[in-house]
Amino acid sequence: MKSTLLKSPIAFAQLSQAPQMEVVNGMLTAVRFADKAIESQRAHKLAICDTSAFQRVSIKGSQAANYLQQLGVTLPETANQWQLTDERLVMRLGNSEFLIEDQTQNVKPAVSELSSAKGVHKVSRNDAAFILTGNDIHPLFAEICEIDLVAELATENHLVMTVIAGVSATLLSQTLNGERIYRLWCDGTYGPYLWKTLLNIIEQAGGGAVGLHHFYPKI
Amino acid sequence: MSSRLINQPTEWIDRDKPFSFTYEGQKVTAFEGDTISSALWANGIRVLGRSFKYHRARGILTLANHDVNALMTDGLDTNIRADVLPVQADMTLTAVNTTGGVLKDRSQFIDKISPLLPVGFYYKAFHTPRRFFPFWEDKIRKAAGLGEVNFNYPRIPKPKQHAHCDVLIIGAGISGLSAALSVAEQGLSVIIVDENAKAGGSLTYDMADQASSQLAELLNAIEQHDNIRLITNAYAAGYYADHLVPIVETSGITKVRAKALIVASGAFEQPPVFRNNDLPGVMMGSAAQRLIYRYAVKPFEKGVVVTANDYGYRTALDLVSAGVDVLAVIDMRREGSRSPLIDELKDKQVAVHKASCVYEVIASKHKLGVSEVVICAYDELMAEADTKNKIRLKCDGVAMSAGWAPAAALLYQAGTKMRFDSGLQQFVPAELPEGVFAAGKVNGVFELSQRALDGQRAAAEAMNYLGKSVATVEVKQHQGTSPSHAYPVVNHPKGKNFVDFDEDIQVKDFINAAKEGFDNIELMKRFTTVGMGPSQGKHSNMNAIRILARIRDLPVEKIGTTTARPFFHPTPIGHLGGRGFHPHRYTAMHEWHIENGGQMTAAGLWMRPACYLPEGCHLTAQQATHQEAMAVRTKAGIIDNSTLGKIEVYGPDAAAFLERVYTGKFVRQKVGQYRIAMLLDEAGVMVDDGLACRLEEDRFYLTTSTTNSAMVYRQLQREAQLCGLSVSLANLTGAKAAMTIAGPAAAEIISQFSSVDLAATAFPTGSVVETQIADIECLLLRVAFVAEQAFEIHLPAAAGLSVWSQLMQAGQPFGLQAYGTDAQRLLRLEMGHHLIGHDTDGLTNPFEAHAEPLIAMDKTFFTGQRSLQIIAKKPLNKTLVNFVLDSNCVGELPNECNLVIDNGDIAGRITSIAFSPYLQRVIGIAFVPPEKHLPGSRFDIRNDAGDLIAATVIQSPTELAKSA
Repeated sequence: MKSTLLKSPIAFAQLSQAPQMEVVNGMLTAVRFADKAIESQRAHKLAICDTSAFQRVSIKGSQAANYLQQLGVTLPETANQWQLTDERLVMRLGNSEFLIEDQTQNVKPAVSELSSAKGVHKVSRNDAAFILTGNDIHPLFAEICEIDLVAELATENHLVMTVIAGVSATLLSQTLNGERIYRLWCDGTYGPYLWKTLLNIIEQAGGGAVGLHHFYPKI
Repeated sequence: MSSRLINQPTEWIDRDKPFSFTYEGQKVTAFEGDTISSALWANGIRVLGRSFKYHRARGILTLANHDVNALMTDGLDTNIRADVLPVQADMTLTAVNTTGGVLKDRSQFIDKISPLLPVGFYYKAFHTPRRFFPFWEDKIRKAAGLGEVNFNYPRIPKPKQHAHCDVLIIGAGISGLSAALSVAEQGLSVIIVDENAKAGGSLTYDMADQASSQLAELLNAIEQHDNIRLITNAYAAGYYADHLVPIVETSGITKVRAKALIVASGAFEQPPVFRNNDLPGVMMGSAAQRLIYRYAVKPFEKGVVVTANDYGYRTALDLVSAGVDVLAVIDMRREGSRSPLIDELKDKQVAVHKASCVYEVIASKHKLGVSEVVICAYDELMAEADTKNKIRLKCDGVAMSAGWAPAAALLYQAGTKMRFDSGLQQFVPAELPEGVFAAGKVNGVFELSQRALDGQRAAAEAMNYLGKSVATVEVKQHQGTSPSHAYPVVNHPKGKNFVDFDEDIQVKDFINAAKEGFDNIELMKRFTTVGMGPSQGKHSNMNAIRILARIRDLPVEKIGTTTARPFFHPTPIGHLGGRGFHPHRYTAMHEWHIENGGQMTAAGLWMRPACYLPEGCHLTAQQATHQEAMAVRTKAGIIDNSTLGKIEVYGPDAAAFLERVYTGKFVRQKVGQYRIAMLLDEAGVMVDDGLACRLEEDRFYLTTSTTNSAMVYRQLQREAQLCGLSVSLANLTGAKAAMTIAGPAAAEIISQFSSVDLAATAFPTGSVVETQIADIECLLLRVAFVAEQAFEIHLPAAAGLSVWSQLMQAGQPFGLQAYGTDAQRLLRLEMGHHLIGHDTDGLTNPFEAHAEPLIAMDKTFFTGQRSLQIIAKKPLNKTLVNFVLDSNCVGELPNECNLVIDNGDIAGRITSIAFSPYLQRVIGIAFVPPEKHLPGSRFDIRNDAGDLIAATVIQSPTELAKSA
């Protein structure tokens, strides 16, 4: 019996691009779509990257904040904010709801070690997660979202829950490797649709897909 | 002969970039910046199209995007507006709506028989006999019309963009530009949009008062501001709530959401109405000015200006300066003008005739242009010409100026209350909605310096509305003569004095409509079709209102206006469609379904395989479905059930919460068991059912039907907010994949991956366990929806494909086959299970579906309980039963929704029906009268052919199987 391999929720939509696949956090993930130079050009212009392989969990409930703080997790102070500490991103989706994302399995306590307790509800996730970046991000956002995303995300550590191309999504803006990038999460079952839709617009604008290694070469 | 003028300082054309294109087979030269019409006119081509109804020759009328009789076809594209679309080198143009070319259009005979075709003719003449109407409709559609739709037109996705700003300004004339500067200087962001190729509005063609230098200064200042975004060649197509305005450009639509809106959209020049006012060469004064100053084209060689305001004098001077031999200015007003321009005209030897009119224009040969005009004395109050003394002037053109109609469509759409200003003879805003402001001509301000001030005033008001503190600006009310004439109409016994050029509507058509009783503006619009053509009444509505007012002897304000709806201007379907955002959800196993011939269909937002037709398979879809169902009955089948709704309910009050929401009891439910959970609405109607699995004392895992998952989660969230119980909800629908393995070999296949004892005694129906399958944490349930032995597996979506593939591989020796939704529906029918939402409707209560065992009426409360208490006291109207058709049944198989007939009356309907290859019988579910609920009861079904097919009520199809 072969071992069970996890698959990115977007993998099906990426087949036609024939990316180089590697296992990241136990999940088969697209790490390269083209050689480094081409991916760099795309990232400069307009690019999309699948980061679904990062580990995620939601912790919600009246005692969620206390529970996480007791475990030493640094939390954003208010709702609709995010906090990046080492390789862990904590998004506060509401007063008592957190989405935690670890880039690697080195972060402690690992998401698998978090559990439900009194007033604490651990919720499993299957997000499709993306990075969007490039100089032409404004027209892309103007087409796929009714609100002024760039303005909304200009405030440091602010996150936005909105609708992207018809799909509910959470977004934030970060600086990664010196570049301004936008992170996006949505229900994984919408992932293939969103990937195809965004990539279609991005390719028409002269950009393209880039692999996870473009942003995280050491993962 | 070329009509191109020498260089004009204001011209929009680039003389360094000449090229040629083709019009009606003729090679024509142009410069970059020319519109199609300006290029044709420059080349002496006067016939640019044929009218919609009578196929009369037409030329330039407005040159302002309203010349709907100058529509062109270029290859696949049609209905191109020649008056504004920039001409291009590769164009091969033909006029629309002609038979045999624009000059020799064979359909022009319709003009000769026009007295036989008054408005309303079609309604009356072809109404009966009805069977002939399609024949006449075809003829009418071919004779009248616009460009022919080309069904091969490529689908070009036009993006829809969104934009945001503090203030959106519609119109980049002097008012709009002044307003933009005022707003931008306060640090606010501005989007200013104009339909013309260049900003400036009337400053680009009305050269009074140093207009061009003022414009240059304004545009220079605009350029200095980073927070002003100027969009030209685009129109604001409508107004929607919260200041949402779609801006239509060639490339697509931008939906602008502004905090405040300033409408500085100007006014449309209105034509006077006289006989043959539609011939090529007869044009608006502003059209003549546009030709001269934007495109350096002489409007005509020799002509007259007919005016009913002072603007015509300005036009006449412009024509003179362009080298036109202006024979006379014909002023329709009794008192004429006191404008100092009269002296200038007299100096240039131009005669001025006050209290006169153009009684008619005499057409040149074949009615392709103007040969002369007939001038008469005119009584402006009676709108009658005195034909006793006619003056005939030979000429080839007429410029017309009779007044203006505000471009107020967006203001109307925004809910502005307008009033009629008799001093201006124009509708002006009386009460503007919150956050909407008006400036310039649309606001009734005509004098140039005041228009600039009015823009600043509107800007100040908008900024104060947005919380700034800005000093108000005073604007002088209009002084002097009215810019618009009260009734610029010249009656003529022979008609052809056109009011609406889109649809060839003459003055007599309004009179006839009123006689027929259509004397309300909205009714008259529909009867005559005035304002219903592509220009949407921009040059005809105001005159139509004036004519109706006179017919009814009422003031104009009592007539009112027609409703202005978005879109303001005809917009390509491709723009409206735009790039489609139609989300679909895909299960983790989607890839496998596609690779194995899954025939994917939409189930709500999800894509699901209806059946599998792998490569090389020669089965029909129905045969494949039957084969898949038989595999479940005889071996094993597997279906992707990931689309089921999946909700986790967690907390000490989880069971109490479920008791409140669902009809059954859950408090005493044991961990490791599930119960069927039925959900009602407040009216006691069945809305969903699923399974409530108790995984821990304080944790339940609920499933819902695919289509209702979002609704159920919403209702649960609402209840959680209302009830105050300690409970937390999580929607795991997308996070979990699910699959059902059903059939005699199901347990054996799963056992290869799981240590759970799946024997019916150890793990009976109703059992649920958290376990591992293929090393993945899963939820395993024994269910009986499609087969006596079936197991549902719920697992993390990311592992779904891998586990599915492993199960398929392990199941091969057992004959495991994937089955789709069609087989699933057949299998559950064989099991006698109804589907809520399919077999029930928006009125079905649980008593009608024999769902009493799922209801605990002795509970304190559950949603729908009180309604059920009332319903329970009433007799049943209908009941849901399983049925079977006679084995020797002949005739067409009934379909879903076929009627149940009892004693000749409608007594119910079929909700599901299918042939079962396993039972070799046609089985189904139907609503029948309550007295027919007992097994063995007989009823008839009327099939689509109208035959009655006999059916028998059965307890369950499974009983049939046992008896067989």
